[in-house]
Amino acid sequence: MARHPVRVLRPGSAVQSARKFTEKHEWITTENGIGTVGISNFAQEALGDVVYCSLPEVGTKLKKQDEFGALESVKAASELYSPLSGDVTQVKEALAENPGIVNKSCYEDGWLIKMALSDPSELDDLMSEEASEKYVKSIEE
Amino acid sequence: MLTPFPVKNCFRLLCHHRVPAAGFRTPATHGLILQSISSDVYQNLAIEDWIHDHISLEGKPILFLWRNSPCVVIGRHQNPWQECNLHLMRQGGIKLARRRSGGGTVYHDMGNINLTFFTTKTKYDRMENLKIIVRALNAVQPRLDVQPTKKFDLLLDGQFKISGTASKIGRVAAYHHCTLLCSTDRTALSSLLKSPYQGIKSNATPSIPSVVKNLLDKDPALTCEVLMNAIAAEYAAHHQIDNHITLINPADETQFPGIRSKAKELQSWEWTYGWTPKFSVNTTFHVPHGQAHLPIQVSIDVKKGRIETCNIKAPDHWLPLEIGNKLNSSFIGSKFCPIEATLLTNILLRTCPDDQHLHSKWNILCEKLRGIM
Repeated sequence: MARHPVRVLRPGSAVQSARKFTEKHEWITTENGIGTVGISNFAQEALGDVVYCSLPEVGTKLKKQDEFGALESVKAASELYSPLSGDVTQVKEALAENPGIVNKSCYEDGWLIKMALSDPSELDDLMSEEASEKYVKSIEE
Repeated sequence: MLTPFPVKNCFRLLCHHRVPAAGFRTPATHGLILQSISSDVYQNLAIEDWIHDHISLEGKPILFLWRNSPCVVIGRHQNPWQECNLHLMRQGGIKLARRRSGGGTVYHDMGNINLTFFTTKTKYDRMENLKIIVRALNAVQPRLDVQPTKKFDLLLDGQFKISGTASKIGRVAAYHHCTLLCSTDRTALSSLLKSPYQGIKSNATPSIPSVVKNLLDKDPALTCEVLMNAIAAEYAAHHQIDNHITLINPADETQFPGIRSKAKELQSWEWTYGWTPKFSVNTTFHVPHGQAHLPIQVSIDVKKGRIETCNIKAPDHWLPLEIGNKLNSSFIGSKFCPIEATLLTNILLRTCPDDQHLHSKWNILCEKLRGIM
């Protein structure tokens, strides 16, 4: 699994938060109240080659755990669930023509949506990267 | 063994919000075999959704058997214009349905069995399910050569596809469903699954055409009824549950609260056509012009089933430019649908000069436009 730096300090003190994970293997990082959502390496490996990304419209209002789209792969059409509540501000357009980016770069270019968080305290319920790794190991057994 | 069995009890035992009561009957393991009494594709797809959403499958797998009256079913992310002959379907009253699982386009009629295997996410195993079907087929006809492929098809005699697979994975549960060709109308199948539409550019997931065969053509013993019973028996043996098929009525709102609205959603234009991934149509058709034919280029972008941009290039000497422009701009926002196009163009025609020659050209143009929808 590729390791990526999880803290990025930019001039003007905008700090990207540490990556947090759900039990459904989605991740989210936040910066200035905007969350970026993607799926974990465990998830993309389990899915296999993604052939289609079905993502919501900008402006869609999501509650935590709402279904917001699906990834179709050779394995199945797997539904995606929102880690937090908020409004969709951006969708990764490039995935329409290149759904495989999710497999190649699930933590960087393969992000799925960005959302303006309506309740940042929900982040506290999510797992840290370390806790997520432990969780994945426990379910793999 | 089929009985119209009041299912309230067994569903209550299996629903999420209930603590599982002391045993359904007294087998060591639990599970259910269900068969739909409906042949309506939307109701049957709705029941799949309902079971997936409402029933706890932990330690209790479910097999659902269903058949539909003639219809075409496309995968979740497919483009119906690319996959089938919508004109022929409209003429024949053949329904179009979009399912929630992935995969390709199939034709269903009462000669095709649909099998849905419901499990938890962790127990999701397509090959295990296909092997149950193969064992069942061989129990009826030991000499039958049926093998699952790596793509989870079933091949007869190493070359004919008799089953295709698709799946959906949700929050905690998953389902794997597949078809089984017993005595399907193959002429209808090949004509309906052949798209006449040209010039479509799309990111939708494509189907992979295959040569198919009916099991009944191989062996007259392999009827739908025989096979459904055989598969149920093998499923029961494998999961160590009672070999008992429970009939269910997917139209029963009391048994399945909320099922009606699920079926309605599945039948809606917004889901069936509107969920089509963005696509463009670039094609040319010809209209009579004197002794010759005039090419008319058409360039249309369709998003969520509606026309986003429209450029019908009718030359000025054939159709006045301002009328052509009016046509283009009035299509924007309308459904990419021949019925809606007809309504629109009829309304527009009334605003055109009352010139018989012009009207006849207009009608030809509109007929051609309907032809690409």
